[in-house]
Amino acid sequence: MPYKFLNKYPKKFRGTGIIVPFGMAVKRMIKSTIHRPVTIMYPYEKEWVPDNYRGRPGLRFEKCLGCGICVRACPTTCIELVDVTDDKGNTVKRPQVNIGRCMMCGYCAEYCPVDAMTTTTDYELAEFNRKDLIYDPHRLAFEGTNEMMEVHISEHLLSNLAKGITDKPVAFFETDRPVLDDTKCISCQKCAKVCPTSAITMVVVGTNAKGREIKHPIIESSKCVSCENCVINCPKAALKIKEVL
Amino acid sequence: MGYCSILEWIFFRPWDSIKESGYCPYSDYNLPYMIGLRLSEIILGFIGWLINIFVPSWSPENSFLLSPALLNGTAVVLEVVIIFAVGFIINLTMIWEERKILGRTMDRRATMIGPLGYFQCLGDGLKTFCKENIAPRAIDKKVYWWALSLVIGSSVLIACMVPLSDRWYIVNYDAGLMVIFGLFALAPFLILSAGWAQNNKYSLIGGMRAAELMISYEVPMLIMLATTCLMAETYTIGGIVKAQFDTVWYIVPQCLGFFVFLVAAIAESERVPFDLSEAEAELVEGWQTEYAGMKWGLIMLGDYFRGYTACAFIVILYLGGWMLPGLGCTPVPELVFIGKVCLVFAIFAIARGAYPRVRTDQILNIGWKVLMPLALVNLAFVIVLKTVGWF
Amino acid sequence: MNENYDTDQMWITMGPQHPFSHGLWTLRVKADGEIITDAEPEIGYLHRGWEKECENRTYAKIIPMADRLCYSASMTWSHVYCKVVEEALDIEVPERARYLRVIADEICRIQSHLMWLAAVGTDLGNLTVFLWALREREFFLDLNVRLCGQRLTTNYPRIGGVRNDMPYYFERDCMRCVERFEKAIWEIIKLTDESSTFVGRLKGIGYLKAKDVANWGITGPAMRGCGVDYDVRRDDPYDAYEDLEFEVPVLNKDNPMGGDAYSRYMVRIEEMFQSCEMIRQSFNKLKTIPKESPTRIKVPRCIPAGTHCAKIEDPRGESIMYLVSDGTEKPYRLKVRSPVFVNVSASRHMVKGVRIADIPAIMAMIDMCLGETDR
Repeated sequence: MPYKFLNKYPKKFRGTGIIVPFGMAVKRMIKSTIHRPVTIMYPYEKEWVPDNYRGRPGLRFEKCLGCGICVRACPTTCIELVDVTDDKGNTVKRPQVNIGRCMMCGYCAEYCPVDAMTTTTDYELAEFNRKDLIYDPHRLAFEGTNEMMEVHISEHLLSNLAKGITDKPVAFFETDRPVLDDTKCISCQKCAKVCPTSAITMVVVGTNAKGREIKHPIIESSKCVSCENCVINCPKAALKIKEVL
Repeated sequence: MGYCSILEWIFFRPWDSIKESGYCPYSDYNLPYMIGLRLSEIILGFIGWLINIFVPSWSPENSFLLSPALLNGTAVVLEVVIIFAVGFIINLTMIWEERKILGRTMDRRATMIGPLGYFQCLGDGLKTFCKENIAPRAIDKKVYWWALSLVIGSSVLIACMVPLSDRWYIVNYDAGLMVIFGLFALAPFLILSAGWAQNNKYSLIGGMRAAELMISYEVPMLIMLATTCLMAETYTIGGIVKAQFDTVWYIVPQCLGFFVFLVAAIAESERVPFDLSEAEAELVEGWQTEYAGMKWGLIMLGDYFRGYTACAFIVILYLGGWMLPGLGCTPVPELVFIGKVCLVFAIFAIARGAYPRVRTDQILNIGWKVLMPLALVNLAFVIVLKTVGWF
Repeated sequence: MNENYDTDQMWITMGPQHPFSHGLWTLRVKADGEIITDAEPEIGYLHRGWEKECENRTYAKIIPMADRLCYSASMTWSHVYCKVVEEALDIEVPERARYLRVIADEICRIQSHLMWLAAVGTDLGNLTVFLWALREREFFLDLNVRLCGQRLTTNYPRIGGVRNDMPYYFERDCMRCVERFEKAIWEIIKLTDESSTFVGRLKGIGYLKAKDVANWGITGPAMRGCGVDYDVRRDDPYDAYEDLEFEVPVLNKDNPMGGDAYSRYMVRIEEMFQSCEMIRQSFNKLKTIPKESPTRIKVPRCIPAGTHCAKIEDPRGESIMYLVSDGTEKPYRLKVRSPVFVNVSASRHMVKGVRIADIPAIMAMIDMCLGETDR
């Protein structure tokens, strides 16, 4: 691959040292007078952005589980779970985004197990006070959300690749599951209460010396989204995420 | 003595009667003066008519309002205002033209406000006028303000002294060119003192650069001026223009001189390839660093007045002034002149878009080692032409 | 200096808010009239505590922060971060991801060099170069948008791969853009290289000898312009660079004076052409890799304890990240070796003896980026 520029330059003799740039300027002047200049008149016309543009986060309220993965994935901790009432009047947990801190990295959309969080093409976010920069879950909704705005993780397991399987993309919320350390569990049922998908059911496994029932959580793998709420809320650190690699 | 019709107060005197009144400063027909005179007749006549309504003893015959002395005095004041206003409008047009050309050269839209963006300059000017008037504390106050006003004032003065045609001038000097050029060359001294007075290192360096640049480029410019005067055998602007109409535009025999004068004129008006006195990359704004807000806007305006004067010089010396070959003085020689000035200024503007700024030592090298010999070659060539008798 | 006059040299403080300093930094120069006798760069105005901040983030969260190290080289900075973590984990990136990273890096290199060219235009007082170069750059930023959703803060590489496979028609768009660029750049070159005023401003100033380059630790185009034949992409290839054929432009190999500002300029322009060629080759290689093949590997959250180092060729030089991990999911220490931080230290050496008007021209050739310098 030879040089393309260095083969021609530097020139030893630059006889037209003034004329050529002048001519280029005149040429471009005529060109941009006949065809319009490349710039656009920004506030009046806007550049087209593709659907995968990472603007502010958007939320599809009815899809969201309230699991809080986005809260933990956010590098700037601008997302917070708040209690809101949905259409039926129930109080549910949904993410609220402080756009003033958001850096539009798209991690919330990427890590969302149900694709409720999306990226949007909305990038004009200036407000006159900081209070308006906080987008509550209803305001996060974005009209015209389509599947291009969802961000999917398609990771491959190293163990699969070693076996030669290359067509099985997974995401962490499909594989990683909490596992229980039986000896630490105190049957407090907290994990079952905090599970957003009610994937955890408490099963009686026996009775202790005082005759009380010992309940251990059973995690339904198909329902679990690996949100770690049970892990975080476990008072005795009996649960922990087992990563599949 | 009763009520007078307004038409008895406002009537237009013929040119001859004005000339004979003894108060008229011009011997030839002078358009701005005539416009001023007509305006003053209308204004003063209207005032007189108003007074006449309440004081019927006033009549057109015995009112000093319509005396030739007062009329001529008012006319001269109005003439100065008209000449400045026309110069100002030419300037605005040139700024608009430059911004449009630069915008298209850079592949972007330029000015936006008004028809074709013409009013953007007015808006910008208004904006600078709305700014707070800030001056640093540790300046040399007297020099700071006087140098500023003199730089702007001398720039405006020379721009107003440029005749637009043989009927549009203030004073028809015999040595008109030399007077304008003398005032043109006043700027380096003022800029140097302005740079010193601001008590700022950037301004000081900028002022010194401006001085060294202007002084070294005035020499080839003066040689070119002398060459053209030699060719036309006169120092008057009208004479030079007429000589070109009689023979040929001097750009043809003196194409070398035209190029030299063009480069020197760009340098003298401190425009971009040679604007090292306000090189914003290394010296923040050069000698204008501490002149903020309205002062900066006025300096900018003064710069464009100087650019206009430089263009007008080129048009007068090389492009036939307000005359067109074959047509002579068209009915509107002023417009012809302004059109030519705008064409020359287009070269200035494109050069601003095409070249980067030249360095200090390079600029002096160009001035002394390239332009000076070329100017002398041109002078020798003209002397040969004169000796042979072709001009 | 004339002995008869009581003249004095003066210190001029250029910066932190000065048109020539692309960012917040100060160059204090001692000037004898127009000639500079001494200089002293001062940085640190933009210190954000980046390295300390990383110690409180999990490994995945540092990638978008690494984008913010430099606004125009975000892709390479997040790349070098991912690379150091991959080395710590000792994993291989899938082949398709390797080529995608090369493409993304080279797009980043071209747009970064165009940003530099634009800045050169303003520093030398010609805004036309600025706007023409930014016009060309816009096409590459649009490619970034197509690829990963944003223009500057790309957040594209991931530990163990890339964020997403390339979208439909990306190859077509990218090749069109590159082919257009290879023609359109000549318009700018004609405005700069054919112009004796432009070349005259750059030639003969800011000399650096090859030995000085080694002593100061200067890397990148500034080094290659001075005759040191070294490029991380070729000499210590990472990702897919060993499969690509490209030339490393090196100038002034035999010049005892070393390289001047103009040679650095030429190296950068040639690098843009070579980057176009690398993108083209990468796409050709990508065609042989099936579309559904993996682009990202699932990595564990915790990195085994140890110290690791990774380096890649940034548009501005050699960027190195040094990671000390203690087995948790957050790094114990992450050290950034920024090329500009090292290059700017040589500014004193380069500007001695030149004129004040040369400072912007010399400093433009360093391609300052204060985000990564002060971190």
